Amino acid sequence: MRTITGVLLMFYYVPTADHAYASTQYIIHDVDYGWFLLGYHFWGSSAMVICVFAHMSQVFLWGAYKKPRELIWLVGLALFAIVMGFGFTGYLLPWDQRAYWATTVGVEIMDKMPLLGDFMSRFLKGGPTPGQMTLSRFFVIHVMVLPAALIGLAGLHLFLFRCAGPAGPFRGTPVELKAKTDYFFPRQIWKDVVGMAVVFACISALAFWEPVVLLEEATPDPGDYHPEPEWYFLFLFQHLRLKMFSGEFGQFLGSMLLPGLLGAVLVLLPFFDRNPERNIFKRPFALIGWVVLIVSILLFTVSAIINREYLD
Amino acid sequence: MQPQLKSKVRCADREVGEVAKVIMDPLSHEVSHLVVSMNGAGERQVSMGAVQTVTDDLVQLRSSSSEVMALPPFKREDYVTLHEVEIPGLERHIHVTPGEVLVPFPDLERNVKRRKFFANLTYVTGLFIGLPLAFPVLKYLMKPMYAPLDNRWLKIGNIGKVKVDDAGTQFKYKRNVKEAYMPEAEIEKNVWLVKATPPVLEKVYQGKDMEFRDATGKAIWTNKKDMPYLAFSGKCPHLGCGYKWRKHKILGQVFLCPCHLSIYDASGKVLEGPAPRPLDLLPIQVSPSGEVQIIDMEFKAGTKSQTRIV
Repeated sequence: MRTITGVLLMFYYVPTADHAYASTQYIIHDVDYGWFLLGYHFWGSSAMVICVFAHMSQVFLWGAYKKPRELIWLVGLALFAIVMGFGFTGYLLPWDQRAYWATTVGVEIMDKMPLLGDFMSRFLKGGPTPGQMTLSRFFVIHVMVLPAALIGLAGLHLFLFRCAGPAGPFRGTPVELKAKTDYFFPRQIWKDVVGMAVVFACISALAFWEPVVLLEEATPDPGDYHPEPEWYFLFLFQHLRLKMFSGEFGQFLGSMLLPGLLGAVLVLLPFFDRNPERNIFKRPFALIGWVVLIVSILLFTVSAIINREYLD
Repeated sequence: MQPQLKSKVRCADREVGEVAKVIMDPLSHEVSHLVVSMNGAGERQVSMGAVQTVTDDLVQLRSSSSEVMALPPFKREDYVTLHEVEIPGLERHIHVTPGEVLVPFPDLERNVKRRKFFANLTYVTGLFIGLPLAFPVLKYLMKPMYAPLDNRWLKIGNIGKVKVDDAGTQFKYKRNVKEAYMPEAEIEKNVWLVKATPPVLEKVYQGKDMEFRDATGKAIWTNKKDMPYLAFSGKCPHLGCGYKWRKHKILGQVFLCPCHLSIYDASGKVLEGPAPRPLDLLPIQVSPSGEVQIIDMEFKAGTKSQTRIV
């Protein structure tokens, strides 16, 4: 659905600094059902992030990343990064104030990467500041590079999954599990159909009752707008307000080192966690780690939302 | 007639299995051997010389079953399939499908590792094609990344707008930009001006004039330490957001960035929050008629020292 709505949006969308905003407004206000397709595409990204995060959580809690499924986990992490990349690059395309400032701050964070930071941020912006080149680059990445990577890696993910087979529940002897094992068709297909229908209904409802409303056209003067990223990046945005992440080193610590360490732990997880035990209730460190991460994300996200009122 | 795969194999005394593979002679292009699957007792390689008759679904051998069983087990590693080695014209002579048709592993390849050699040769060739392309592709993508710095003076308004000492007043101005192939466009930007009292000026300049240089190191302007007007870039030095002049419950009137809550006083000094350096001062001149001009500079955010990028 994201691909279909994305292709349909491209029938009218123009990725240039002087037309991106107007063409998005045209889609919303003038094209029949444009508001719905854009709303579906927009809310679909949130649904995608939630689904991917839920799936990763289940894989983690069920210990399904362990041998012999290490590669599936690694490819899954790359897919997660691609989904976040879709969210980040797609956010700029309407070229309104929200888009412009989320990108400005996001790319500045990337700038803090050691050695390559300056190059990467200039490379993404296509210059020293966001402008036409940034829009062109984000557009190409959003509609060509990331979809190609997603198709390839999702195929590899499924291929590896077929090779290793599903991990199944973490409780039960092999004989009990074999007795419970069912064919993919029809039970699992039915569950998938119901799941997809529910997600479709939720996204459609959000697109219908919460349609996308653009702010003013992008400009380097934010006016009264308080820059903020999409909700799934809010915790990252908020934690950089902490005192411990102040100053040049603090900023490097908060925007690069800590997220980098978390990423490294996730990548190396199947290699240092070699205990074959999959039951989450017998893996206290994993359970505590997951709870701490979820609570932190929730706390930072909620505090960012509360801060909005303080700022107004 | 060639023996067919899956055909039953019968010895002089009894049936022993079925044809699992056929082996071709790469020189004569004829079937030289059969590989017989011995009903679960492994595989044996039987010469075509031992074959008495061949029909559609049966291969009759002259030998007895004990003689066939006594043959050494078939060594698969001594052979390659027709997918792995190309023998010109051989396929025209094969009438056994489907299945594994083998030819002896060429002796030359066993030692020379021809396959590996050609694989490595392909990588090296790819590298030689890719390397000269890498630089042009990188330069192609980097074209707009490092634009020259612009040191033009821009008029931003009249100083009469500044009413109060040591307080921030925002000046919005439009700037024409011409980006690559795009038509020239106007973008809206802002700077904050402060009419500073001597203590604030002292905090900013610390008794010294401030010199601004271009990319080559040549001085382009000097802000005099006793000139009371300060112009701060509208970009927060933390992560590049736009900040405001706001009232703070404890600190009074301050510059506050709503993104990550960096707080600065009227001299641009960091009072609270994550910003790594004070607000960025810009070159400013005020004409006798009160016309304010600045050089629109931007600096990299998030670093302790200033690095100019615009």
